[in-house]
This record gives sequence, C-alpha cells and structure tokens, in this order.
Amino acid sequence: MILTRLRGDPGETPGGVGSGDYARNTRKLAAALFVALVLVGVFQAITPGVFRHYFVDVVMTRSLLFGVAAASIVFLSAFGGMISLAQTLMYGVCAFTVGNAVTTGGSKGLNLGWNPWVGVALGIGVTTALGFVMGLIASRSSGLYYLMITLAYGVIGFYFFGQVTVLSGFGGVNQVRAPAFIGEPTDATNPERLFFTVLVVSVVVYLLLRYVSRTPFGLALQGVRDDPVRMNSLGFNVAMHRTWAFTLAAFIASLGGVLYVWEQRAISPTTISLVGILNLLIMAIIGGVLVLEGAWLGAFIYIALENYVRNVVFLNNWIEEARFRTLAGAIVLVLVLACPDGVVGLRKVRGAVTLSLIGAAVWGTVGGLQEGDRGAIAGVIVGAVAGIGAAGLVGWLAGHRDTARGVWSRLLATGRPGQVPARN
Amino acid sequence: MRTVRKNSTWLRLSVAAMALALLAAACASDTGAEDADAALSAAQSARGEASTALADAAAAAAAADAALAAAEAAQAAADLAQATAEGNEAAVAAAEQALAEAQSAAEDARSQAAAAEQEAAQAREAAAAAEAQAAEAAAAPPPEPPPPPPPAAAEPTTSIKLAILSDCEGAFGAFHDRDIAGVVTAFAEHAGATVNDRTAPQAGFSNASINGVAIELVGIGCADDTAEAALRETRRLMEDIGAEIMIGPLSGDESIAVANYAKDHPHQTFVNGTSGAQDSTMAVRAPNFFRFNGDGAQWNAGLGDIAHNVLGWETAAVIGDDYSFAWTSTAGFIAEFCAAGGDVISRVYPPLNTTDYSGFVEQLPGVDEVDGYFWAVGGAGLVPALNAFEDAKGEIVGQQHMGNLFWGIPDVFRAIGPRVEGSYSGGFGNAPDLQTDKAAEFRAIINSHFDEIPFGGAPAPADAAYFDAFFMNYYNNAWGLIEGLKAIGADLSGGHEPLWEAISNVTLDAAFGEISLDSNRTAIQDQYVGRIYIDDAGEMQSSTVAFVPQVDQTFGGTFTGDPPPSRDFPPCEVRDLPWIGNATPVVDGVLQN
Amino acid sequence: MTTVMTGAVNVLLGRRGRHVPWQRAATRLLITAAIVFVLVWIIFLAGNTSNGPAVSAPSDFLKSILNALTISGLYFIVASGFTLVFGLMRTVQMAHGSLFLLAGYFALEYQLDFVGVTATPDRNQVAWADWWLPLVIGVVVVSGLGLFIQQVFLRWNQGQDLRQALITIAISIVLGDQMIQHFGGVAEPITFTHEIHGYVEFIGIRYGIHQFFVIGMALGVGGFLWLLLKKTRTGMVIRAGVDDTPMVQALGINVQKVFAVAFVLGSALAGLGGVIAGSSVTSLSPGVDGQWLLHSLVVVIIGGMGSLGGAAAGSLLYGVVTAFAPAYLPTDYAYYSIIATFVILALVLAMRPYGLFGRPA
Repeated sequence: MILTRLRGDPGETPGGVGSGDYARNTRKLAAALFVALVLVGVFQAITPGVFRHYFVDVVMTRSLLFGVAAASIVFLSAFGGMISLAQTLMYGVCAFTVGNAVTTGGSKGLNLGWNPWVGVALGIGVTTALGFVMGLIASRSSGLYYLMITLAYGVIGFYFFGQVTVLSGFGGVNQVRAPAFIGEPTDATNPERLFFTVLVVSVVVYLLLRYVSRTPFGLALQGVRDDPVRMNSLGFNVAMHRTWAFTLAAFIASLGGVLYVWEQRAISPTTISLVGILNLLIMAIIGGVLVLEGAWLGAFIYIALENYVRNVVFLNNWIEEARFRTLAGAIVLVLVLACPDGVVGLRKVRGAVTLSLIGAAVWGTVGGLQEGDRGAIAGVIVGAVAGIGAAGLVGWLAGHRDTARGVWSRLLATGRPGQVPARN
Repeated sequence: MRTVRKNSTWLRLSVAAMALALLAAACASDTGAEDADAALSAAQSARGEASTALADAAAAAAAADAALAAAEAAQAAADLAQATAEGNEAAVAAAEQALAEAQSAAEDARSQAAAAEQEAAQAREAAAAAEAQAAEAAAAPPPEPPPPPPPAAAEPTTSIKLAILSDCEGAFGAFHDRDIAGVVTAFAEHAGATVNDRTAPQAGFSNASINGVAIELVGIGCADDTAEAALRETRRLMEDIGAEIMIGPLSGDESIAVANYAKDHPHQTFVNGTSGAQDSTMAVRAPNFFRFNGDGAQWNAGLGDIAHNVLGWETAAVIGDDYSFAWTSTAGFIAEFCAAGGDVISRVYPPLNTTDYSGFVEQLPGVDEVDGYFWAVGGAGLVPALNAFEDAKGEIVGQQHMGNLFWGIPDVFRAIGPRVEGSYSGGFGNAPDLQTDKAAEFRAIINSHFDEIPFGGAPAPADAAYFDAFFMNYYNNAWGLIEGLKAIGADLSGGHEPLWEAISNVTLDAAFGEISLDSNRTAIQDQYVGRIYIDDAGEMQSSTVAFVPQVDQTFGGTFTGDPPPSRDFPPCEVRDLPWIGNATPVVDGVLQN
Repeated sequence: MTTVMTGAVNVLLGRRGRHVPWQRAATRLLITAAIVFVLVWIIFLAGNTSNGPAVSAPSDFLKSILNALTISGLYFIVASGFTLVFGLMRTVQMAHGSLFLLAGYFALEYQLDFVGVTATPDRNQVAWADWWLPLVIGVVVVSGLGLFIQQVFLRWNQGQDLRQALITIAISIVLGDQMIQHFGGVAEPITFTHEIHGYVEFIGIRYGIHQFFVIGMALGVGGFLWLLLKKTRTGMVIRAGVDDTPMVQALGINVQKVFAVAFVLGSALAGLGGVIAGSSVTSLSPGVDGQWLLHSLVVVIIGGMGSLGGAAAGSLLYGVVTAFAPAYLPTDYAYYSIIATFVILALVLAMRPYGLFGRPA
C-alpha cells in the first residue's frame, strides 16, 4: 500500500520488498561502506594517526550506532509496513534507564551506581517491555495512523523525561560511565574500542534482522504487510504480529540507545524531541526505508553532513550565516523528489548515476583542494546529491514535456492523464 | 537484458568510485599534513625567534642613538633659546651648529635603524624561504612514517587554538553575532587582535598574540540551546578542529553538558559564554571550566530586598518555567525575599512548551490575595503567560510584578509591551545606564572595534551591543581567559594546569564592577536591579535603580549545590544575607552612597 | 519439544482466535470506569487541587470550561485545515505548523508597520484595521505558499502518501530555519485590536471578550466549512472526492482544481489559526511551528482523520484535557499535566484505533 506508492513507479510490481535491482544496489553501496569503515577502523587501530581520530571516533561511530537505531525503522517499514516514529523514544528510554542505573552521583536522576552491565540489561529489558505495551496499543492501526500514533508516543516520551525530575528533567543525565573495556574518555590510548564495539553490534543486528525476516514469523509479518485482511482470514493474528515486530524493533533500538549513551556519556530529553525524531527518520529515508542496509548508509550520509556541512565549498558563505538546517532540508527534499527510494533509487533515471558521480568527483575534488579532507567528504556527498537532483530534474522534464514548455502552462493545465491518484 | 547489465556495470563503477572517493577524502594526506604542520610550526617559530632577536637588536641600537641625538638636539635647542634670549650672537651661532650636529646625528641614527630593519627583513625572508622549504619537504611523501610526536615536549608554545561556542538557532539564535562579537572585541582590545570585518563578527579576528604566542580562532560552534547540540558542537570544535580552549556555551543546560565534557577532558580549558546554570560550576565542579559571570540566582540579588522593604510586599507568588534555570532564578528571589521577612505563598511552574497557560495561572492567588508576583517564565511562554494572567486575574500593574533577567533585556521586555511599566527586573550583571568612566570606556571599546553587529540576522549598530549582557558576558569571559594567559606568558608547554591556576586568580576590573572567581571557579560580581520605564519618545527602557556589591554563588550561604534549586527548594525562611538593607540606590545612573 | 515450542509461539502470537468478546467488554468496562472516575473526581472529590471540587467551587469549574472552549476553538481552526487536506488527498501536511507560524510572522511585521512601532504596541494604539488587515495579509501569503507547495511539490506525487509526508517534512525544516533567519529568535506576540480586547464579569467570573471572540471565530470557521461542504457544489465535489476520487474524475470533474482549492483552504486555516493564536495563547518564536503541528496531529488522531466532525470532537476533548489537567490534578502532580494531555490519546486509541469518527485509511 503506502510502501509500494513510495517507490514512485506505478508500472512496477514489487516482487517482494528486499528483492530486485533496488535492493541489490543498496546492498552494494552499503557493503562498500561497510568494507570502507572496517578498513578505516583497522588502519586506525594498527597505525594511529593515519586517519583523524575524530573521523573514526565520532563520525563513523555515530553513523553506525544511529544506523542501528535507523535499522529498527527500516525493519518495521520494510517487513511490517509500519512507519514508526517511536524508535527515537525507544533508544532514549534505554539510554535514560542505563544513565539512571549506572551514574554514581553529581548528576540528575536516581544515581543508583550499579554495575554498567546490569544497567545495560535493565535498559534493554525495560525498553523491550515498553515496546511490547506500546506496540500492543498501536497494533490495530496501520499506515499513516501508525505514523502519527508513534509520533505521539515519541512526544509523550520527550515530555515524560523532561517533567519527571526524579528520572531526569530537561537538563538530562550526565557522567554516564561505560564498562571498563570501552575505556574512559580521558584515556586516549585506545579510542577505537567503542568503534569496534559498535561495528560488531551493527553486524549482529543486521544478521539478526535478516535472519528474522526468513523465519516463519518474518514471512507471516510480510504477509501482514501486503494483505492484512487475507492474513487475518487465514488465521494469523495481525495485531499480535505487529506487536511482536514492534517489540523486536524496540529491542534493536535499545541496543542503539546503549551505544549512544556510551558514546555520548550523557542523555537529555532534547535528544528525543521532535527534532531528534525527524533526524532519525531522515536517516532512514536517505538510505531508503525499504532495504535494511540503507539504514547505515543514510546514517553515515547524515552524520557526515552534520559534521562537515560547513566545509561544503561553493555554499560556504551561505552556510556561514548559520543556516545549515536549510541545506539538510534541501538535501532531503531533493532526495525524496528525485529518488524516492533513497540514494539507491538511482537506477530510475539512467543518467543519475553518471551525474551524481560527476557531481561527487568535481565537488569532492574542489572541496578537497580548498578545505582539505572535510571539504572532500562534504563535497562528495553534496555533489552526489546535486547530481541526483539534476538527473531527477532532467528525467522529470523529459518525461513530462508539457512542463518543459513552461511552469505556467503546467500550473494552468488540468489533470494530466495517467495521473489518477490512487487510493484505497 | 543488455540495459540491465549496462546499468549494473555503471553502478558497480559508481559504488567503487564513491567508496574510493570517501576513503581518499577521509585520509586526504593526513600524514603529510601532520608532517607539514610540524615542519611549518618549527619554521615559524625559528622565523619568529630570528626576527624578534634581530628587530630587538636593531631597535635597541636605533633607540640608543636616537635618544643620544635627541638629547644633544634638546641641549642645543635649549642653548639656542638661551642665547637668543641673551642676544649673544656667537653663542647663537655655536648653538645653531650644535643643533645641526645633533640633527645630523639623529639622521645617522635613523639610517642605522633603517639598515637594521632591512637586515631584519632579510632575516625574515630567509626564514620564509626555510619555511617554504620545510613545507615543500613535508608535502613530498615521507619516506617512512614519522615517529609519533613526543608527548608534552618542553618546546615553548607557538600558537594556541581557540574556539567559540554560541547558539545560532533556538530561542537565543538572534544573539549569535553579539556573542561572537563579545569574544572578538575582547581579543582586539586585550590581545592586540585585528578585527577581520568591522560589520561581521563571524569573520573573526587575526593577529592576536600574547607574549609572542599567536592565538588563532579556529572555529565557531553553532548550537541551539539543547545539551545534545552543544555537546556535538563541542566535540567537533575540540576533537576535529583541534581547539585547545573553548569559550562558550550560551545557555544553562548546554553549560552543564559542556562542564561535564570538560571534566572528562583534562587537557583542555573551557571558559563559559553567558550561561547561568548553578549546577555547571557548583555541582559538576570541573577543574577546567571557568565562569566570569553570575548564575541565575545571583542575577536576581536585590529584588527580594526591594520587594519587601521598598514595595512593602509581605507575601509573594512566583511563577517560572519548570526546569533548572528558572528554578535557580526563582530560588534567588525566594531566598532573599524570605530572608528579608516576606512569605512566598505560591510557587507555580508550568512545563516548558506549555500551549495554554490559563490552567496554570489559575493556580496563582488573585491580585487581592497576594502583594506581588515574581516571573521567571522565558522564551515563547512569557507573553502568553502574562496574557493569561490578564485574562484570569486582572490588569497588570507594574508595581505588583517583578521579573528576572528577561525583563531586563530590551528586545524581550519590549515584546511584553508597555503594560509592565514600573516593574522591577532582575539584573544580568550589567547596568548600561550607569554614568561611570568605566562604563563609558566599555561602550567606546565596542564602537572602536565594530561598526555594526548584526542582531537576529539583520544589521544593527555596534552600539546596541553595549546594552546586551550576552555580549558583555562573552566579552568578560574572553577577557578573563586573556588575563589568565598573560599571567603564564601564554605558555602551555607544561599542560593546562598553570593556566587554570592563573585564571582562578584573575580579577577583572570590568565595566560594571570587579569580577573575581570563587573556589568553584564562578564569578563573584556586582549586581544591579533594573526598572522599566517609558521614555519621552514612547520607547520602553530599563533604568538601573539599585546596586548590590559582590554577590557570590552561594548567595550568602544559601546554596551548597546539594540539593540544587528545585520546585520546592529553597524553603522560605528568615536568614541573614549580607546585602539586605545595604543595596545602594542608583538614580539617573549615579550611585547614591 | 517442537510441539511445545510451536504451541508457545502460537500463544505468543495469539494465533488462536481474534478479538475474543470478553476482551472487548473488559476494555469498554475499563474505559467507562475511567470516565466515571474522572467525572466523580472533578465534581465531588478533587481535594488538594488548584480548583477544588466543582460542587464547592462552581465558578472555577465554569471558568475551566470556558478556558477549554477557547483553546479547543484554536485547536479546531488549525486542525480543521489539516484534516480537510488529509481527508481529500491523503496528504499528511507536515508543514502545516510552518504555515501557521509564517502567517503569524507576516501579520506581526505588518501590524508593527501599520501601527508605526518597532516593538509590541499598547493595545489602545492598535486600531481595527491594524489587526484585521495583517490577518488577511498573513492568511493570503500562506495560502499562496500553500498553493505553491501543492502545485510544485505535491501534485505530481498525488497518491504517494508517505512520500508527500516526507516532502512536507523537508519543506518544514527549510521553512523553520529560514524563519529564524528572517524573523529572529526573540518571541514576539501579535496584539489584538482594543476593539476586540476587553472583559466581562458575570457570576463572579472575569472573562475576556477576545476569548469569546476566539470561540466565535472557531464556530464561524466550523459553520463556514459545514456550509461549504454540505451546500455548495465545490463542497459536494470535495465530499465525493473524499469518498472516491477516481470516480469523481471519471465523471469529468476537474479534480486537480478541487485539490488545489482544498489545499489553499487548509493553508489559509493554518494561517488564520496562526494569527489568532499568535494574538492570544502563544507568541511567535522558533519551535512553535512544531508544537502546533503536534496539536493538529493529536486532534485528528483523537477525532479521526479526514472528518470535520472528528476534528471538532477531537479539539473539544483535547482542549478539555489541556485546560482541566492543571486545574484538577493534585497540586503535586500538576507538573505532569502536559503528559496527561497525551494519555488521552492512548485511551482513545485503545478503544478506537482510527479515532472517534475515523475509518481505516
């Protein structure tokens, strides 16, 4: 239903989500990213100083851990047909639980001072249980209703942790300690330990979700996604399948929450506010909400942009006026308009690949020359997006000659044939 | 099938290319860059030393000669004058000759100085050449990986990297340029920096140096008054760009996050921007986080006293946002009002982002059930809360209301509207209408370095920043840092501890009173109470009406950090506060003592 | 062993049977009990609350009801536009809040310009036209912007619900950021003309004429929409479009025109709400857009999406909770009233997953 519409290609019959060129493309791109990340991480571990610590410790670590959280959105949408905006809340709940359990004083919250691992177990347990309850309440809804209900959950969570000062208050919980093997932030000798932890968790989560999608439960869930009515009459309890899927997603998101709080050493309600909710959704969209690997890809692009957007040459002066959320919004807009399947929907327009490649190469090179490595990273991403946008525009103009004759004629034109809005 | 295959080839190519590009971008000559950096900095330091030495020598010689010549000339002139007066022609001639001699001697000295200068220039050129050579050498791929740099080598510091963190989004986004301008002005005034653009503070400064050590502004962070964004930006500035010292952040929750970050990063130094959370210094107690401004409670010193002893309130009700900054803000009023003998009969804390304040305002006692109200609601909630009050309780009479710092910021109280005319407001540590030389000097300093300081994205005269405590606090904090650096000769080669020690001992002779730091590294400073009036042009203005000297963060022993101010702390109790009854009235900007 | 595990899985997935009647009955019983308890609490118990029980403080109770009606009115004005767009086009207009705020900012700029001041004027300076004219300007501007968004970004994605939602999210991010750039971050209110502003007193209650005006505007908007939908040809087409768009199109009706009209109307209502709310319950500052988008969402989730009656019912319920929670929660718990407003959501959804008046999308 919604998800097939998202593909923006009415002529295509989805042969099951997770198949076809689309999925293959994502997988290739994500695999390349994974390999690149592992290589960078290993290089960093063997020869400290080759890469910027920051690139490994912050950009890549955060990409992977937000990828885990975004993967829970992608899992629900790809296999369950549910767009959930509550995943930010889920990792927040876990992070707050861990924070309250392990802090030893000098911070807001309960300061229970427990062993970090007990805190982790508690956090994951609480979040998963909460996921079950929330999933149950929302389980009879679907589509846009599901989206809005889960959004409401997310906002309740924000106010809950903001107002309940026993647990946090708006200032948040600080001084959260990670287990000993991660090391202290003051100890700069082995900072990539957290990176490898996050990498391992990412791989495990990925494999777990792929495995689940092939179990009888996963197959039934995809059945529920495609035709709930038929599944219901076949004797499957649609609501309970949705509930358990949501619970699993909550579990995955809680892993993201643990990693987040280890990385950040703090958690505050503003992290899970509307902005945080939308950010995670944007990551999932950029990567393409229908293929699991896209989650990490989208997270990487988003995090890299967030860090290096000021180094985008050609746009520097404009961004110096501190308007980089506008750029982020514009990039999302371009991606959603030009390739609704995320960065991997490129095949829709033949020239998109070429153009994005040229864009990435040119912008990346100029950026690298002018601003160093940060400029190169930012340039590659923005250039690729610009290429996609240009290709999208060209393709769209080619496909709709009436528009090419002028915007006004289009604005005045009556309903176009072949554009019957579908509804069910 | 052909097209599909073609497509996939393209894709494979693109994937590979993008991955490669990313990888290349990531490592982009990082090794080379580090080498080059090291070589460059070595060359730079060599150059600096050479030129300093040469210039010193030359200058000394020239100065000596010139002095001698000048002395002779002076002598000759004196003789001449005397001779003229006496009418002794021979003497006049002799004196004239002496004068000519002296002049030629001076000429010689001058030319000598020029030669010395030339020599210095040559030396500088040589140094530059060496530098270029070094850069070239570094740019070439190194034959083998260089040994890791020795930790904390005892080389003298050649430059210090500085970053600024402020808010360009969120509730305080409009103040972004002023915050940065505060830091830039401080470095221009106290560290010899050149302001890069006199109408755009974000262009930063250059050529700042303390004791020959360059202070580079390497980054400006942009947060949005959330802890999340502040932490993210702090990490970007400190870990990616590599700043060693950061000035910021702006708001309370941000500063708690940054102070905690500081605690975890003992090789860096943090100086507050303008945040006023009590916890960031009193509870977190990071040894490397300093604050040359007061906190939310300190800023309200003097209000409780005035409420009870001037306005004659026996009872009061407080209403504020339900989070730590507003709790701290109301705590200052409650502690002082109760200490003076008043009674707080109602405390109402509507949640942040409340849409409809009517239900909360209902909880306040009516206008005839209480003597006055203290407001600590900020941001988007302030005007709606006052509207709801008007709707539920009756007209707002200035004498019956007091506000915290938000009622003292012109852009904010003008949004409230003329109905609050006559009400008292908490300070922000500044008193722009004070008629003192130091205040005038401060104002002149701002105008001497900037023509325009944008506000909210629109151009605004630099002078407007004088009335803005955000500007002042960033300025004072940067100044405190500069004084600390000066005290240690800006030498960080032995780690940051000496700098911390030095900053702790800094006392600023600031525009509105002396600022020193207490044992928690937060300011002990003078406070002012303002009052809103409407000037002849119909504009709302705030005038300073009272002065409270040297208020400290414990608020006369009321706060210890545990428990922190909350919905019901501090309790209302009579106690002794040093300044009660001792506030000095201020009339027309003049202290009446 | 396998049997046991399969059995366990079946139980966990609830594969045996669907909604057993007793579950439904239990839910209903619980909900009814909850409603009865809340009523009894407000009317008789309500000890240690800010208002006190309604029987002993009837005027406070009445005032809370008036407050509830006022805020409900605002919720309704904003949410009716949202639900109209959704009902007809299945577009979740995530930039609704941005249009709300933008209209407010335009009205504010023009009001200050008309009155000739640089900051909030005194009410007595604000003449009749100094409020109404900015209102019209603000509404017209965002209607135009709404038309632009619909024609340029949404029209050719008609039918792709999620994609449209994402497009409007992106637009709202850009708009929100640009509004900070152009209007700054300091919260500023619009000022009601003194001809609307004033107070009446009756049975011990002081209440604002402008608050009644807000209620009146909401009733006016409701009436207008009802007439439009029930009595005009456009309205008939819109209602038909809500039910079956392809059929309407097949009948030769230019459905694109109807879509455009509905979207402009929805945007205009967002703008109208923005100017009125900006003059009363909120001031204009960054973040307000997100809050009011959320209010619209809550209202339509409670009421059921796409239904005008649902929007009215949802607004009322949401407004009542907004106004009553701080007044009738025990004072130690009044801090959590903002959470209470969302608990109502969970209750409604547990009972009716598609809202009070909704039906499956």
